Amino acid sequence: VKTQDFKTCAQAGFCRRGRALASRAQETASWKSPYSVDSSSLAVASDQASFTAGVKSSLYPDIKFSLDVRIHDDGVVRVRMDEVDGLRKRYDEAASWALIAEPKLSRDISWTVGKKDVRALYGAKKESEVVVNFEPLRVALLRNGKEQVVLNGRGLLHMEHFRTKESSRPEGTPEEGLDEEAQAVMKVRPMAWFEGETEDGYWEESFGGNTDSKPKGPESLSIDIEFPNHGHVYGIPQHATRLDLPTTTGENPTYSDPYRLWNSDVFEYMASSTMSLYGSIPVMHAHAADSTVAIFNAVASETWIDVDHPTPKSTNTHWISESGILDVFIMPGPTPDDIFGQYARLTGTPALPAQWSLGYHQCRWNYISSDDVRSVQKRFDEHDMPVDVFWLDIEYAEEHKYFIWDKKNFPDPVDMMHDVEALGRKMVVIIDPHLKRTSNYPVYQEASELGVLVKGKSGDSEYEGWCWSGSSSWIDFFNPNSWEWWKRLFKTTSQGNKWSWTESTDNTYIWNDMNEPSVFNGPEISMPRDNIHYGGWEHRDVHNINGMLLPNITSQALIARSDPPKRPFVLTRSFYAGSQRFGAMWTGDNLGTWDHMAAGIYMVLANGIAGMTFAGSDVGGFFGNPEPEMLVRWYQVGAFNPFFRAHAHLDTKRREPYLIDEPYRGMLRDILRLRYTMLPVWYTAFHEASVTGIPVLRPHYVVFPRDEAGFTLDDQYFIGGSGLLVKPVVHKDVTEIEVYLPEDQVYYNYFSHHAYRGSAKGKQVIVPAAIHEIPLLIRGGSIIPTRERPRRSSPLMKRDPFTLRVALDKTGYARGELYLDDGETFSHLEGNIVWREFVAEKTAKKSKTIKISSSDLVSKNPDAAVDGVSLTKYDPLNAFAKSVEGVRVEKIVLLGLTSKPVGVKVEGGDDLVSEFVSGVAAEGKKEGEASVLIIKDPGVFVTKDWTIVIQL
Amino acid sequence: AGLDKTHGVHPNLLSQYVPLKTSSSPQTWKCLDGSKEILWSSVNDDYCDCPDGSDEPGTGACPNSTFYCRNEGHLGSIIPASRVNDGLCEAECCDGSDELPGVCPNICKEVGEAYRKAQEEVRKVRKKGSKIRSSYIAFAQKEKKRLEGLIESTTEEIAQRQKEVERLRDIVERSESLSAAALEHKKASPLYETLIEHANALKSLQREHKKHLERKKALGQILDALRTGYNPNYQDMAVLEAVRGWESLAGLPHINDVRKEEEGSDEGAVVKTESDDEEELDEGMWTAEDLEKDLDNLLKTDYVSLLLEHEKHVNSPMTDSILFDLAAYLPDALVPQYETFRETVISWLRTLGIVHRGVDDSGENTKLRQSLTEAEQALRRAENDKKKAEDDLSDLFDPEGYGAQGEWKKLEGTCLEKDVGDYTYEVCLFDEARQKPNKGGQTFSLGKFHSWNPDAQPGNPEYYTKQLYRGGTKCWNGPNRSVMLILSCGTENAIHTVAEPEKCEYHLTGTTPALCLPFDSSSEEKRDEL
Repeated sequence: VKTQDFKTCAQAGFCRRGRALASRAQETASWKSPYSVDSSSLAVASDQASFTAGVKSSLYPDIKFSLDVRIHDDGVVRVRMDEVDGLRKRYDEAASWALIAEPKLSRDISWTVGKKDVRALYGAKKESEVVVNFEPLRVALLRNGKEQVVLNGRGLLHMEHFRTKESSRPEGTPEEGLDEEAQAVMKVRPMAWFEGETEDGYWEESFGGNTDSKPKGPESLSIDIEFPNHGHVYGIPQHATRLDLPTTTGENPTYSDPYRLWNSDVFEYMASSTMSLYGSIPVMHAHAADSTVAIFNAVASETWIDVDHPTPKSTNTHWISESGILDVFIMPGPTPDDIFGQYARLTGTPALPAQWSLGYHQCRWNYISSDDVRSVQKRFDEHDMPVDVFWLDIEYAEEHKYFIWDKKNFPDPVDMMHDVEALGRKMVVIIDPHLKRTSNYPVYQEASELGVLVKGKSGDSEYEGWCWSGSSSWIDFFNPNSWEWWKRLFKTTSQGNKWSWTESTDNTYIWNDMNEPSVFNGPEISMPRDNIHYGGWEHRDVHNINGMLLPNITSQALIARSDPPKRPFVLTRSFYAGSQRFGAMWTGDNLGTWDHMAAGIYMVLANGIAGMTFAGSDVGGFFGNPEPEMLVRWYQVGAFNPFFRAHAHLDTKRREPYLIDEPYRGMLRDILRLRYTMLPVWYTAFHEASVTGIPVLRPHYVVFPRDEAGFTLDDQYFIGGSGLLVKPVVHKDVTEIEVYLPEDQVYYNYFSHHAYRGSAKGKQVIVPAAIHEIPLLIRGGSIIPTRERPRRSSPLMKRDPFTLRVALDKTGYARGELYLDDGETFSHLEGNIVWREFVAEKTAKKSKTIKISSSDLVSKNPDAAVDGVSLTKYDPLNAFAKSVEGVRVEKIVLLGLTSKPVGVKVEGGDDLVSEFVSGVAAEGKKEGEASVLIIKDPGVFVTKDWTIVIQL
Repeated sequence: AGLDKTHGVHPNLLSQYVPLKTSSSPQTWKCLDGSKEILWSSVNDDYCDCPDGSDEPGTGACPNSTFYCRNEGHLGSIIPASRVNDGLCEAECCDGSDELPGVCPNICKEVGEAYRKAQEEVRKVRKKGSKIRSSYIAFAQKEKKRLEGLIESTTEEIAQRQKEVERLRDIVERSESLSAAALEHKKASPLYETLIEHANALKSLQREHKKHLERKKALGQILDALRTGYNPNYQDMAVLEAVRGWESLAGLPHINDVRKEEEGSDEGAVVKTESDDEEELDEGMWTAEDLEKDLDNLLKTDYVSLLLEHEKHVNSPMTDSILFDLAAYLPDALVPQYETFRETVISWLRTLGIVHRGVDDSGENTKLRQSLTEAEQALRRAENDKKKAEDDLSDLFDPEGYGAQGEWKKLEGTCLEKDVGDYTYEVCLFDEARQKPNKGGQTFSLGKFHSWNPDAQPGNPEYYTKQLYRGGTKCWNGPNRSVMLILSCGTENAIHTVAEPEKCEYHLTGTTPALCLPFDSSSEEKRDEL
């Protein structure tokens, strides 16, 4: 990375000012926020869900601010503050782009307005309380009397009001109660006490040869957010750093600069840094054994976040943004799962992806011709390696005019796509937001005529910058006129005299890259902040949201192009809160190093807890030529990422999995097949995420919120609710690895069936991890549904039978789920689904009979079967279920029985053939290979209720 | 309703798909690897029992097994189990047996016919091509004869020349032995030694100079490639600076401006070239051109002759000197007239034989030695010719060279071209591959002939289907350019496709009659089987 291409806090005027304010506050014992609530203006809404009040700053008595506090029906508290009747208007639309709908307000609140504060007790047991102190302004959320989240507790709140360049600062009056030093400063330079001694970077700033004209002057926003009882914070992606966010201030901070959120295309980014990357989600979880809370700071401008732990059990954060209003959502928890629900109600759940998109994606910059694509497909089939998607990077497009095929190399794009589709596969083609400024490019021409391109700082002419296409302009998706136009472009049929992509098919999906936006000759490789978007907003106001809009509209375009609509697939590099509703993301241009392999896991976990759960890092590393061992390990990492794609830079050697020599080639084939075997697990996990918002990859603190030892763990994680625990190897020359077991439970090695014993205090166990081995454990008590017949692509597995791995827990119980639908249309919204629960249990506590049964989960949970839909009636024999009614369970593998059964039969049916290999039982303390009972072809169907009785 | 137990079984294995003749019921069967005995009813029951997958030849239930389609009316074929019952009709199974009954039609009749027709086409091409190939072999035979003749004639010539050299050497040695001692003495002169030293220094300087020139040229090529080939990606400021620096040094307009002009602006860029501001030379100094052309001649000087010539000058009577140096005694004003006059006088005197350069012993020796050198050179030439002819002859039928029958000899140096729009790719067989831009600019070497297909054995037909060209111009930020030329039988020598699957590695496909092997009796029989 060229660090000098990107700002540090000290190089950004507002961040410098914000941090200086924080350090003055730190040094001044009697520091006190100048902001206070004007209690006389306080007005509680008639429904009691909210109140508004005026806020004043003692420094600028003439400037008016307003405060707006609301409580949602799920207990989320929203705190808004804006300048009122100022010289200009602050950008206040960030939340409207992130939120899925206007949140429902609580009907269960009554505010008590006192002399010093206003407060409300709420919640099922009145356990929650919001307290807003008047002077100084301070907002706190308490649970059972204990402070969870505090805004402005350290008095760092500062909303720089709009001012004119000419006017000098008004004189303020010194406050009472300050220490002598501060008093002295106050008397001489009253403003300096709070805002610093000079107008530092107020009106113009230069960086790297670019000058930001800053026509609106200073308008930054600083707010401190404390978690007095939480020792760990997670989230605020995307940064290449550990999940448990290291400190940036306080004693011996890990990093010297705050975490930065300013969507950036960072070339060869560092594997450990607070530098901003491609996307921004201003969501932070704060976690302690007895409580999880979170905040969503809905701001779209550049934001820097300092993190400090004043004690190991508490966290201070400081958020400094360049512009926008204060709009903070406080999520009360109290568990991580509650947080995911609260956040999903605000910004939506991750979309249920098309099932094929969970298969393996083969990408490279670039497959150079339609024949190249065909030959790559052929080689995969020759080596019997499954793959679902072939990708085309920018070179498919003539002169990088996206949509326009380079006919020299791709003379027959539709035929090529049909050849790929013939095996159930898809293609993904890149479409970037920069349009080549040339008259022979219909997309640019139409955008220009429609006036939907981003304008330069004058606001009247198209902004021109450099990107892959050379001289380019950028679509302004904030302009509603661009939306229908963009959707039309993706129609595969002719649209009269208007242009549409007739040289594509309904199986052509989209990759949106460079949408930070990346501008090669722009400041910090992006757009000038004083560029003008729709509505007259400056780019600085909307930058972090801007990147989200392209995939947002593109995914809608893909839905709109076919009838009946198919689920879209759009991969984006840039994203914001709410992006989970539109598609997948990847961690950008990583390096082929072990560090980056490891960082990819932390980053995917962090993105996941902030909603963006359909995530992955480029397998193999974008830059570099990985050695065989590294490539094998990277495929192991990728196979356990929600999004599994191999990608490589133009300058790298080809490294498709069939190219590597044995024995590595066989290992890669096994890894690919393992992923396909487990697609039912992944799809079921995505189904759950789409309904609950709980991420597909679950870090330890999410699954075991009370287990302190797991709070810093980010190199091992669980897959959905399946009970699978994986710890991908990200180091060279590893032959075995320590895996942490967080509970007193038996865990089984997925491959060897070795039983490991955890402990209530937590325990490390040694798991074999030679190059061909993946440390993958099944938590006792889980039932894992798989499909074990290798196929060339996932749609070809539709009729294949299932295998159930039943891993008994130490009480002899196990449970698992399986969700199925057609995987590509929206007919699941009408109840065309199969959602089964499998349970293995003893018929009575000391019984010698174990029953494994299958039952319908939809009827039990009609509200949780489909995202956003409550199924009023459900037909277990729906059209989809009928289409798979012949699909059977071909095998049951039961781990941990105490002894060889004397009989195995289907209830009300025949005796079954089974094989028993004796070994360690789930009940007991022994370690070693578990006993395995294999039931051959029980003749039961996956859509039906059934029970298998095992008599010991 | 079980599947036929032999469904999907290869004909060679059919005999093994019968129940074990042990105890009567239930019937059993042994996995082909012998690892397990299972119920006969478990064969093809859509559940994988055998570790080797042999119990499910027809269902696809065992991951790594295979399935045999009989394809009556066409050729039988084997597909992996992963293709069985996946809902797709495999092209390899025209009888549709890879899917459940009713899913795929039996199209073996049509497929078989089409296949035979296509085979017939291939056969025709091969037949025609093999005729051309025979002409290549005939050429090699002719070449063989020619070379053999050449070897014979050069052998004779060598014998004669050896005699001549011996005769001359004898004379030279005798005459030189008289003056050898004197010559050695003269050579000890500091002047001569210094001269040799200067000559050596000059030689070294020339070698270094040439190295620098080549280096400069290579650097220029690299920078040109960088300038025209780099992505206008301003992310990499180092690249941009390098390009800008080169442009200013080489007097080129900025490449982005050039592109912009192409797009419409008619303002021509001011091109400043290096030659415009060539520096002034001091008197007597050589221009770069002189250095290149004349330095070699200067270095070829025979210093011994020069030494003897010099001796003659130094020891000559002064008369010459006075006459030649008369100008020194004349007033400056008269010198020009005198110079003109002197030339006339001297030429006049020479004509009359009054002034002349005497021939002394050492001069005679030089001439003799020259004759010897010439004779020796002629001998070496003849020897080289013979050696070359012998090498060519042995290469001719070297399996690693022109093939066991010499069928490739005819194509040596044959240049094949393919125009793909921006570039024309050219491969001169057994020589060099090149990329030539069609719109002007640098031609890049894509490499010199390196070897045949390294993954096959010499002599094997597979060996001659690939040619590697390596060590072409280095790519900026990449490897040296290289080519893999993939050839197949065809009636013409031609390149059909050009691809660059990864940076600076070119894959070319083409055809040549040299690969059209004649049909032998066995392959004819095979055809009849169809």
